[in-house]
Amino acid sequence: MATAVELIAAPWNLGLRPPEPGHEPGAWRAPEALLAAGLEDRLRPARLVELDRPPYDFDAQPATRVRNGVTLREHTLRLAGTVREALAASRFPVVLGGDCSVLLGCLLGARHDGRCGLVHVDGHNDFRHPGDGGSGPALGNAAGMDLALATGRGELLLTHWPRVGRPLVADEDVVQIGDRDEDADLPFTRFTARQIERVGIADLGEQVRAHLDRHGLDRVWLHVDLDVLDERVLPAVDTPGRPGMDFAQLAELLSSLVGTGRVIGLDITVYDPERDPDGAHAAPIVDCLTSALTPLATVEAHA
Amino acid sequence: MKTLLADGPTGLYATEMRQFGRLAGHWRTEITYYPAGSPPRRVDGEWEFGYALEGRAVLDVWQWPGRADLPPEGRAPDQECGLCVRIWDQRLRLWRFTFHGTRGDILHMYAREIGDEIVMERAAPGALVRWTFADIAADTFHWRNERSTDGGRTWRLDQEVHAHRLT
Repeated sequence: MATAVELIAAPWNLGLRPPEPGHEPGAWRAPEALLAAGLEDRLRPARLVELDRPPYDFDAQPATRVRNGVTLREHTLRLAGTVREALAASRFPVVLGGDCSVLLGCLLGARHDGRCGLVHVDGHNDFRHPGDGGSGPALGNAAGMDLALATGRGELLLTHWPRVGRPLVADEDVVQIGDRDEDADLPFTRFTARQIERVGIADLGEQVRAHLDRHGLDRVWLHVDLDVLDERVLPAVDTPGRPGMDFAQLAELLSSLVGTGRVIGLDITVYDPERDPDGAHAAPIVDCLTSALTPLATVEAHA
Repeated sequence: MKTLLADGPTGLYATEMRQFGRLAGHWRTEITYYPAGSPPRRVDGEWEFGYALEGRAVLDVWQWPGRADLPPEGRAPDQECGLCVRIWDQRLRLWRFTFHGTRGDILHMYAREIGDEIVMERAAPGALVRWTFADIAADTFHWRNERSTDGGRTWRLDQEVHAHRLT
């Protein structure tokens, strides 16, 4: 039986620094741009939920050194409720960010029903936190901290949650894919961008599947930061880089992961339509996502 | 100011209100400061907690010395008196806390019950500061003020309080 998709638009940019003084990051526009490029028509979701756009604060908020930390907590709880409802209805939530900080709400919603692993597909490890030198005296940006926060590193404001406590996901339940920092010493299973170039997507998919098997991870959330794509393929992100995948490789990887039947939902983040003034990149993102979710037509998620 | 204080908690968020509300009453405190590079300093004080704002807030007044020990000329500049306000924020699912010192100092913190402790925290540039209520019993509790400069891996004890209920 096919698993129905629920599209959740999370138009926020809370976790990103201003690209220039007084100017908000444009990632909040991504849901609207992707829907305008036909994503809803292509995926034919059972439901489309459009969450409010949170206010962006250029100044520090009280008692937190994370930019927009208080607002982020409030909207994380809201997003978690929406994800939880989608899962309770046996749907496959597809969360359209927004920046990578949407991951916290996705995981919190998924954790309502117990243990949930994380496959973190991202061109960066997003593991900045005060304990590793962090952001120093400047405000931290949650979009570069989401994996640290999700694994319980950082302020109580963004690491302790109702029902779940801390962490949202254990280190051993995380697989990180696509990081360009070869030298980082991280407490996760990881496949860097260079490793992926060597082993290829098919082999990577098999290795991840085997890892999930070994660790008994029947429920996994899939986080996809589009900056895992090579900057020559998609420059319209906050921090583009290379090497990286092309769209076909990303679609193959995501399709392989969804095809395991263990992925219960995914989020896609950091596309910035303001860096794509003629909208040329929205269509290939829609194509990629549609292709990636094709296995849902035949595989039932472990909700 | 009869409208400020309340006899008990609101029926809303009863479980959360109880976290701090169980401290309602008047406490004698033994306060120890641990300044870096100096010997510890011990003083005695009082701490009074109560419900306020139709039972939606828990206030406390922190002071040393206590009222009975206050010298005739009044509180010295280095002696402390402050008001703490705690309000459960259902949107954030945690407590918002402010400390208002009579020297003009104001602090914001967030708090959650974690295990059998209530942990309050604020992040400052380069440091996390935690105020933790622990070992809470009917007539005693322990409070500690700690600071971490490595993101929470290690903590330095700056101050602690042993509290004994008077009323």
